Amino acid sequence: MAPILRIEHLVKVYPTGTRALDDVSLDVERGEFVVLIGLSGSGKSTLLRCINRLVEPTSGRILLDGTDMARARGSELRRMRRRIGMIFQQFNLVRRSSVFANVLAGRLGSRPLWRTVAMRPTTEDVALAFENLGRVGIVGKAYSRADALSGGQQQRVGIARALMQRPDLMLADEPVASLDPATSHSVMKYLEEINRKDGITVLCSLHFLSLARRYGTRVIALKDGRVAFDGKPVDIDEVRFKEIYGEDAVEVEIGVGPTADERAAAESADATAAAMRAHLETLDTH
Amino acid sequence: MAEYFTARGLPVPRELERNILTDWRRLGAIAAVLLVLFVGLRITSIDTSRANPEYAGSVLVQLLQWDFTIMSPQNEFETFWETAGGQMIVTIFLGIIATAFSIVVALPLSFLGARNIMTGNPITAAIYAVARVVFTIVRSIDVLIVVILAVIIFGLGNAAGVFGLAFHNIGVLGKLYSEAIEGIDPGPGEAITATGANRFQVIWTAVLPQIVNPFISFTIYRLDANVRLAPIIGLVGGGGIGVLLFHTMNLLNYRQAGLIIFMIILTVAVMDFISAQIRRRLI
Ligand SMILES: Nc1ncnc2c1ncn2[C@@H]1O[C@H](COP(=O)(O)OP(=O)(O)OP(=O)(O)O)[C@@H](O)[C@H]1O
Ligand SMILES: [Mg+2]
Repeated sequence: MAPILRIEHLVKVYPTGTRALDDVSLDVERGEFVVLIGLSGSGKSTLLRCINRLVEPTSGRILLDGTDMARARGSELRRMRRRIGMIFQQFNLVRRSSVFANVLAGRLGSRPLWRTVAMRPTTEDVALAFENLGRVGIVGKAYSRADALSGGQQQRVGIARALMQRPDLMLADEPVASLDPATSHSVMKYLEEINRKDGITVLCSLHFLSLARRYGTRVIALKDGRVAFDGKPVDIDEVRFKEIYGEDAVEVEIGVGPTADERAAAESADATAAAMRAHLETLDTH
Repeated sequence: MAEYFTARGLPVPRELERNILTDWRRLGAIAAVLLVLFVGLRITSIDTSRANPEYAGSVLVQLLQWDFTIMSPQNEFETFWETAGGQMIVTIFLGIIATAFSIVVALPLSFLGARNIMTGNPITAAIYAVARVVFTIVRSIDVLIVVILAVIIFGLGNAAGVFGLAFHNIGVLGKLYSEAIEGIDPGPGEAITATGANRFQVIWTAVLPQIVNPFISFTIYRLDANVRLAPIIGLVGGGGIGVLLFHTMNLLNYRQAGLIIFMIILTVAVMDFISAQIRRRLI
């Protein structure tokens, strides 16, 4: 089968003259969990943001299932974007809106304008929103304001929002860089789950190589806007590591284990599921 | 002092290098200010020789001896709304209506004047530049001048006054709103763009929630300013209680004028207090 994402000779030169991506080519196969690593400034964010065109590539092709994303315009571009979810380091939730409204926002692109303006989501979308909130274990927070949540919870809202798109590909730009190590793992596990269970291909940039080894099925390293390594996590040895991160770098571990967040989530899981079922039933009767 | 640095081979800080008394730039600046003031005094020929403290004193006393007859109709044709109290209320509403008109125009235009909304496309970028220039020009024409010009179109009265207040306020609110939009966090909008939503949907879901509070705050601030200005526009034919004040002053009816001035001061003070309270709660 054709790769879900094929990038050919991608170049991005910012107006400032910075050559952030310098002839990047790579294929991502369906179902892979690709971790993007590299020093700060190596071009990870630029690459991810070029894929869904938050950043305009200077040249090159971005083939999503064979269609060139780099050339798409207007409604075609929006239609292609719907197939790509994205989560962000800063979560990028609308802070003053409810968790529920934030999650529903993931579905705007597929719905007519008046539903946005009148704030009248379809029953199907509401059900899907609660299903996705349930998956990331925060149904209980549905009506809280987004900025009342902890960082880990906000990132889970970000994941639920992206899942509303039913994406084929999930981009994640340092999704756990603003979180503590324990919370990082709980968020990464949700990404792992959507990759394994839903078969959503994940392309995720990370700062810690230990996280990359733990979650990635494949690691791509960028250096000065070029691909410096592309292979299995286990193949990154001392030499490769120093090639990617420089001579003075030392690898650090980031602990694995159940977190307070996770334990709480597990405890509330039953209650959450019950609440969700109850809610879906009320929706059905309408 | 400078020797401390030179002895150690260090560069001398600029502050120590200069002698305040001999620094020609400083002396030049002082001389320029003095020259401007001197020339100003000469060409304006301010003349205080005709001042009449005794007369002023008697007027001041009259201004405080309020004549309450203007609070009731003067003849059988007048209603409450022609009295000073009625005109004060009318004047407050002139300010409110003018603010409302300017919101309706400034609100949509302010998005055109926000850089973060309009860049990315040469056409919208050009619209942005035009919108900003329009705001600046509109804002720079003072309310009183607009009212004087509006009197030519609408004749004397409330229409000219409301037009003048609203026109100037479009420029001010347009700029304030635009800057509020430019100050938002771009993250949520990017996230919603990434889901495949169109520009309008992005503005509606990610931009609007971030700007309601600043918009309300700026609007109340301008409402306050317009209610403050509304009594003054009457002096140049813009209607409201200012007209009454103008007449009573022309008739040397200082007891009535004093009461009107007091009502205006009271209104402005109350508006100021209310607006400050609301704005404080919004931040
Ligand atoms: N909007 C921009 N305008 C100009 N230059 C930019 C812009 N965004 C990024 N760059 C430059 O492009 C290069 C790559 O930046 P990018 O953000 O993609 O790196 P990164 O690998 O994501 O870094 P980090 O780990 O710090 O997030 C850097 O040199 C950066 O300064
Ligand atoms: Mg980055």
